[in-house]
Amino acid sequence: MNKLLLLFIFSGLLSSCEDVVDVELNEAPPRLVVDAALKVRKDGSASSTIKLTTTAAFFDDNVPVVPDASISVTDGNGKIYPFEYIDEGIYYSKSLFPKANLDYTLSIQYKNEIFTATAQLQSTPPLDFVEQRNDGGFTGKDIELKVFFTDPAGEDNFYFFEGLSDRGDILDVYNDEFFDGNTIFGYYLVEDLAAGDEVQFNLYGIDEAFHNFMFILLQQTSDQGGGPFETQPATVRGNIINETNSDNYPLGYFRISEVSTLNYTVQ
Amino acid sequence: MKNILLFSILLLGCYAFSQEKFTLSGTISEKDSGETLIGVNILIPELQTGTVTNQYGYYSITLPKGNYSVYFSSIGFATEKFTLDLSENVKKDFALKEDTESLDEVVIEADGEKLNIRNAQMSANTLSVKTIKKMPVVLGEVDVIKSITLLPGVTSAGEGASGFNVRGGAADQNLILLDEATLYNSSHLFGFFSVFNPDAIKDLTLYKGGIPARYGGRISSVLDIYQKDGNKREYHASGGIGLVASRLLLEGPIKKDTASFLVGGRSSYAHLFLPLFGNDNIAYFYDLNTKLSYNLNKNNRIFLSGYFGRDVFEIADSFANSFGNTTLNLRWNHLFSDKLFSNLSLIYSDYYYGLELKFVEFNFDSGIQNYNLKYDFTHFISNNIDLRYGLNSIYYKFNPGDVTPTTESSGINPFKLTDKYAWENAVYADAEIEVSDKISVQAGLRLSTFNRLGQDELFLYENDNPILFNEDLSIYQKAKPIDTVSFSRNTTIKSFANLEPRFSISYLLNENASIKASYNRMAQYIHLISNTTSPTPFDIYAPSGKYIEPQLADQVALGYFRNFENYSLEVETFYKEVKNRLDYVDDADLIANNAVEQILLNGEARAYGLEVLFRKNEGKFQGWIAYTLSKSEQRTPGRTSIETGINNGNWYHSPWDKTHDVSITAQYELSKKWSFGSNFIFQTGQPTTYPEGQYEFNGVVVPVYEARNSSRLTTYHHLDFSATWTPKPNSEKRWKGEWVFSIYNVYNRKNAASLSFRENSDINKNEAVRLSIFGIIPSVTYNFKF
Repeated sequence: MNKLLLLFIFSGLLSSCEDVVDVELNEAPPRLVVDAALKVRKDGSASSTIKLTTTAAFFDDNVPVVPDASISVTDGNGKIYPFEYIDEGIYYSKSLFPKANLDYTLSIQYKNEIFTATAQLQSTPPLDFVEQRNDGGFTGKDIELKVFFTDPAGEDNFYFFEGLSDRGDILDVYNDEFFDGNTIFGYYLVEDLAAGDEVQFNLYGIDEAFHNFMFILLQQTSDQGGGPFETQPATVRGNIINETNSDNYPLGYFRISEVSTLNYTVQ
Repeated sequence: MKNILLFSILLLGCYAFSQEKFTLSGTISEKDSGETLIGVNILIPELQTGTVTNQYGYYSITLPKGNYSVYFSSIGFATEKFTLDLSENVKKDFALKEDTESLDEVVIEADGEKLNIRNAQMSANTLSVKTIKKMPVVLGEVDVIKSITLLPGVTSAGEGASGFNVRGGAADQNLILLDEATLYNSSHLFGFFSVFNPDAIKDLTLYKGGIPARYGGRISSVLDIYQKDGNKREYHASGGIGLVASRLLLEGPIKKDTASFLVGGRSSYAHLFLPLFGNDNIAYFYDLNTKLSYNLNKNNRIFLSGYFGRDVFEIADSFANSFGNTTLNLRWNHLFSDKLFSNLSLIYSDYYYGLELKFVEFNFDSGIQNYNLKYDFTHFISNNIDLRYGLNSIYYKFNPGDVTPTTESSGINPFKLTDKYAWENAVYADAEIEVSDKISVQAGLRLSTFNRLGQDELFLYENDNPILFNEDLSIYQKAKPIDTVSFSRNTTIKSFANLEPRFSISYLLNENASIKASYNRMAQYIHLISNTTSPTPFDIYAPSGKYIEPQLADQVALGYFRNFENYSLEVETFYKEVKNRLDYVDDADLIANNAVEQILLNGEARAYGLEVLFRKNEGKFQGWIAYTLSKSEQRTPGRTSIETGINNGNWYHSPWDKTHDVSITAQYELSKKWSFGSNFIFQTGQPTTYPEGQYEFNGVVVPVYEARNSSRLTTYHHLDFSATWTPKPNSEKRWKGEWVFSIYNVYNRKNAASLSFRENSDINKNEAVRLSIFGIIPSVTYNFKF
């Protein structure tokens, strides 16, 4: 909530006094980065891809990809699903369709070190409809979209929301603490959105730990990151453990989410 | 204990040898307005002794029978002298006339300064509003907080932030008192202005160390501000019209020489301040100072004063926000005898923060309320012993947040963070003793207690441990409460008690120089929950209790003080240690958090430094050079050998650590029509945390951060000028006006308030973005009086 607030106040108040400067930064040795989100759609189909990269110097244009790791996922029944390398650091399994209430353990072997993490499928409600307003935003002239869903009552739910279009992406995480059991919306507002634009909305079920992880990550990646009223930043550790050498911890996360998707054409 | 013993012996000795003695006492005020004067020196050259008026303008001194000349002197006032034949108790109220002869030096002033170096109190600076008003300031708004940051050992929390840091302490460790009432937030418009209306203020003192026992509850400093009482003789108005804000103050007698009122208001112009926003947006602040004073009779005076301030922001129809302080206090001065002065204060104060997010249709309210009773006595025992004692009782209610939906159709459920209650009590005694011609001592002891009172739904944790360490990931995680308990309000969940000794001593080396040393222990029971560098209104106070320990500070300071002809030099060095300084685990989310104990760890802080203040107090040219060399750091080690703590348990710079801090301020009175002021500030850049790498996750670029606060922003400096033009200084008319022209940051230095790192989505490259708040800012203000 504070992030939202700061965005509102300071984007208007202070943006005029910003300029880009050169800064010398220290450079940390590279670490393995694991972006492992196994996605299960409402119809049971799945997209089981994992991307491996490493960290890079902050001002580098690209991050190096990792093509030479071996990856597998083992389910709670002991069944092993191997992953194949495709390209661009992406590994793929065509046989893995995660089921609810079953543990899945990721295992990565890279440079003679073993990295592991365990996750379970998190469910999500469907995205129902989109409400469009043409007088939103600070200027009162932007197109604002609200995509509605109904939170299941009486349980703690956490969501990861994506609104994706060529005009810009909005990522956010929600915690149902304040709207348990209600119909609530994901909020999409980007500049220059116009009639005819296609927007894809994705709502992922996630657990509390990933919610907290992503909440911080989004704070650190937002345009307002590091402003005078921000929290003290620190590198966020995910849920993946280096079993061989704990000092060489990896970054990133392993999660299994059910996803609801809704495509919308701006009116 | 030793101090008390020493004191008792002295006290006994004093009575045993006393001859026939009488008391000279009274109240000193300003001739034209009847306004009582604080800190006026009363000197008796025959005995090489004297005293000073207290916060209520009262003085009392007990001397052997005899003939004396008595001088009353105060900077900016013509010194008055009278001859006294002391053969009985004498009550002498005196009115001093403002020294309009442009600060002619009077020989006696040097004696006034001598008394100052003789006094055991060190690490304290008093500024008169006159001095503050002469300093150039940003946007032409006279600002109390910005002017004290020009003193050594005091830095601002950041550009555009009104919070301040004293001797390496955090901004929430400052006790800010306005007419004895505690203020929780000292800034307007997110720190662009401080909440004090300069026209309503009489005097202020900042204690950085050697803090007397009558103050407690915060561990770093005390900023004690007194408002004017209101003119008891004539009706007057004063005010100013500036680019950003205007102010008006009315004062006058209700009954001549007996009762007076003061009403002061200030408001900013919304439409001018934020032209960047469209017409639908509003941002403004206002505040109101009111005071009634009534002299019931010779021995009784009553004051009723109030402060109300609010900031309001509204952005289109999506967002509304308002916050501010309210204080109301009733004080009663009573003289039990001409040697025993007392003040009873009943104070209500609250801080409110409210937020309405219209587009998600909910309201968020939070705040802190307290009721405060203070009863303070000053016992002027003899010409070399003053004894102060008293008690203080504060009842707190904390509202960490209340979420309510604003419409029937709102998707937000009502939600209440649990209210918390506490009761803080203290008793103290403090003696100021002139032990010999050369040695003065101020020794005191404060006993403070804090009871965390019953509340609803206190969380219980396994092993009473609300924060767990995940060994695999090497991170701290919130523990799940195993149960909740509710207590009735009149039970005590947890209590604390602390003895806080305070001791200062001065030794006069010669007529013009002294050395002083002090030690103080302070306890602080309420904590600002904020991991940003400056107190912003989003911050929430939390009381000590089952999971949060009170902060304890020990400070020692040593100083050398010297008067030259028209100059004075103060050199001090200090060392401070703070126990139980709370720290937040990395990336903690503090807003609307009902269980802050789950993200807090107990750490420690320390600060040390050297301060030099070279000051010219008199003449057409006045000002000072202040230099501070200091270090302020903190650490939070793991609780067990497995835990990493914060920042791997290593010491790191506190966000307000500034190695070098130079402030130069000067005022020059060219003629009666023109006077000039200038400031120069130079500081080591603020510590900050930079990225040392990046990675990609879910399509976004994420920075990898280095160890906490291991880099620094670039050096901070700026130069400011102001010129005051009084068109008709000798006008006989009631209306008196002056123009203040000022330029802040003359050479347009782009000081970095922060450096942020982000991905430029247009060119897909990471970049560092400097945020600088104030470039060169010219302004003009018209001030008037009638």
